[in-house]
Amino acid sequence: MLPAPFTPDFLNRLEALRLRTRREFLGSRPGSYSSPRRGTSLEFADYRRYSPGDDIRYIDWGIFARSDRLYVKLFREEVDLFVYLFVDASGSMAFPSLKEKFSPACHVGLALAYVVLANHDHVKLHLLQGSAALSASPFYRRRHKIMDCIDFFSSAVPGGVLEMAPVLGEHLKRIRRPGKAILVSDFLMPLSSCQQGLNLLRALNLDISVIQVLSRQEIDPPFPSGGLLLVDSESQAELRLRWSGDLQREYREMLERHNLQLKSFCHQAGIHYSLFVAGEELSKFILETLPSVGLFK
Amino acid sequence: MEFLNPAALYAFFLLPLLLIPYLIKRRPRRLVFSSLLLLRDLSTSASGRPWGKLYLPPIFFLQLLLLVLLILALAEPVLSVRPLKVAVILDNSASMQALEGEKSRFELAREQARDLLGGFSPKAQVDLYLTVPRVERVGREALAPGEASALIGTLRPYDLGEPPDSYGEELTGLAKEMSYERIFLLTDHPVRGQDGVIRALSMGRSKENLAITSFQITRPSFASTQLEARVEVTSFSSKEERVKLLLKGGGKILSARTETVAPRKSVASSFEGFLLYPAYEAEIEARDALALDNHRVAIPPASRGLEILGISPRPESLDSLRSIPGLNLKMIPPGAYEKSRSRGHSVEIFHFSAPAILPQKHALFVLPPKDNPLVAVGGALSRPLISGWREPHPLTRYINFALFRPSYARSLKALSFGDTVIQSPEGAIAIGLEQQGFRYLVLGFDPFPYLGRENLPISIFTLNLLDWFYEGPDGSSTGTGEPLRLRAPTKGGILVTPKREKFPLDQEQESFSLTFFQGIYEVNRGEEKEVLAVNLRDARESDLTNPAPIQLREEPAASGSRSFFFTLWPYLLLLSILLLFVEWYFNPPATQS
Repeated sequence: MLPAPFTPDFLNRLEALRLRTRREFLGSRPGSYSSPRRGTSLEFADYRRYSPGDDIRYIDWGIFARSDRLYVKLFREEVDLFVYLFVDASGSMAFPSLKEKFSPACHVGLALAYVVLANHDHVKLHLLQGSAALSASPFYRRRHKIMDCIDFFSSAVPGGVLEMAPVLGEHLKRIRRPGKAILVSDFLMPLSSCQQGLNLLRALNLDISVIQVLSRQEIDPPFPSGGLLLVDSESQAELRLRWSGDLQREYREMLERHNLQLKSFCHQAGIHYSLFVAGEELSKFILETLPSVGLFK
Repeated sequence: MEFLNPAALYAFFLLPLLLIPYLIKRRPRRLVFSSLLLLRDLSTSASGRPWGKLYLPPIFFLQLLLLVLLILALAEPVLSVRPLKVAVILDNSASMQALEGEKSRFELAREQARDLLGGFSPKAQVDLYLTVPRVERVGREALAPGEASALIGTLRPYDLGEPPDSYGEELTGLAKEMSYERIFLLTDHPVRGQDGVIRALSMGRSKENLAITSFQITRPSFASTQLEARVEVTSFSSKEERVKLLLKGGGKILSARTETVAPRKSVASSFEGFLLYPAYEAEIEARDALALDNHRVAIPPASRGLEILGISPRPESLDSLRSIPGLNLKMIPPGAYEKSRSRGHSVEIFHFSAPAILPQKHALFVLPPKDNPLVAVGGALSRPLISGWREPHPLTRYINFALFRPSYARSLKALSFGDTVIQSPEGAIAIGLEQQGFRYLVLGFDPFPYLGRENLPISIFTLNLLDWFYEGPDGSSTGTGEPLRLRAPTKGGILVTPKREKFPLDQEQESFSLTFFQGIYEVNRGEEKEVLAVNLRDARESDLTNPAPIQLREEPAASGSRSFFFTLWPYLLLLSILLLFVEWYFNPPATQS
């Protein structure tokens, strides 16, 4: 059963979307994404001198008339796309609750997966967790597989500490085909750790998009004034501080600075970046925000 | 400036308690957060705050200020002025003779009064007062402080107890009546409450004490020739005491005994078989604070006989009493009573008659007429059954009430007060009461004539009532402050007090009221000599551990008075609202969420 935000209308509008890639990948089947190879699509790519055995239907007779030489027209090959969807399932994604952060993150992932499946492309789901066991789905194709995607996310239980680079490295070892990688996480980790992870994806020549998911409580912590003993949801580390209006303001400024640095890195690395605040309308984010940052065509 | 209620200043020691809520608030609330990555940097910047680990918000200092002001207000500060019209009241009751170290409380009070007087303006007018026998000014005119200081040296405590009423209202009335600017009360009682005019200075500490609270010399019955002494020793101590008890007569020790007294209990001891002396003294060998109550005096019953005046329209019934040994009866008709009332008899029997006012003697009323001052007389009863009687009671001992069947009776009902001694189903038929040292018994049946063995229950009852009248309530001594009843004088004489002061007596003088000291009072009328015993009877004076407090103000619960909190409540309300607003200002609800 589809989650609540996935109404028939929303699904119809998702079907009209297509992921945008900045690179060309070698697909396995004909599809709608450009391949570096020459093929039989309608999109013209180049000319080549005729050699015996070429299909005479592709000879450009205009050029022959002008230059008295035989050239054949070459066309782009259009192939299907392989999309790798990484969703952060560390302990921090369960704060303040599964429904308030992890589920919205999964909904974003499902919406993207549906877009991919509706275009007859391939999508593979990965859960990023600190535990040794890697959690990844097989490649899904065709839209009816969305139910398998739902089951995959439903079975996920966020927890543990996430070291992004090592965990991503383990997942990437098993990726054979190039494609598009979409990383959904809160990125509440040292910026250097984020950069290492994203660089790993870049090294694999993947087209990368990043979606940062934060809860409202993380943007504006609802702590009472006075002494607090804060416990890290992942590492269980403790921190004592006296919360006040001033400190809240300082925290907001630091979070904005952190996000800005992440965004700046993504921009420099050619990565799509967007921020989704849990609780916002999912359809608005998918249909308006993501196309505006260039994730969809 | 001085404080009317300086004890409130001790509340300053409680001020550090104000920190407790802040220390409790300081204990951090444990909250789980997704990541402490960014907060860790904040924590390092927040730890450099000037107040260190204990965070004291501005409202703490405001609360501290308000509490200080509240405590100061409770201490009731007043601007000191040197009063010009002053009353100094010295408590001269018996307990002021208690020793505090080497000096008595009264001496300490005198010294403190002199110190007070030394601080007054030379133009000040001082009135000196003593508290017992009543609050009364010493001298007729106001004194200069120097004169008052000299006069204080001549004052002395009396062996008197204090009136039971609180000084509070009396002193307030005195201050208003005499327009005193300040009244100083120097007493050994703890004082509760102060006000702008009356200042009570309390002296003396709680002390353990032993006291003789009763000493009587009696005869077992009016026909007996033997004497019996009964001494009651009371402990006002928190521990068990062993005390040596001495009975003295004629300056010699007649008997000695050691008794053990439990804490705050009494023990009674009886002595028998001693010689007849004009006066006896009971003494305990105890080194306690108050020596006054360690001895008492008593005199033996004046005569071995019982002098009875019978007033009856039927004298033949009472004549049968003459058969009882040791009893002297004089019969008169009711009309002759007024002429004979002051004669030297000790009991009056009103037989089918009653006087207009109660006699100042023990009296028996037999079937009194309806216009008597004691009881309402009910309907007639024929051979009434006895349904109840007081037991134990001297009047009912040895009687078999199953056989007690008067042939005729009337039910009685006490007009004001009285104890029912014998009860029939239709009402009381014998009512006894004690008033001003006299015993009265009203009978709704006629026990006379005295038939001896022929009607044993009624005869035993008759002998019981004669014994009861003979004993009297502690009749062998008078309490200090009570008037001494003198025998009917035939000529003038001299009364010598225990302090060897001599007072001439008038011919018609029936009583002597200046009995301020405990001891033997001697009345010399030529060759005739009479001795009278006067003792301190107020046991409250002996209780030095738990003296009654003096309440200078009415309790808050008293009706019609504006209580302390009643006057403060608008300020407390204002304070609360102010604190609420300040709390709101510093901790707005948006950040509290």
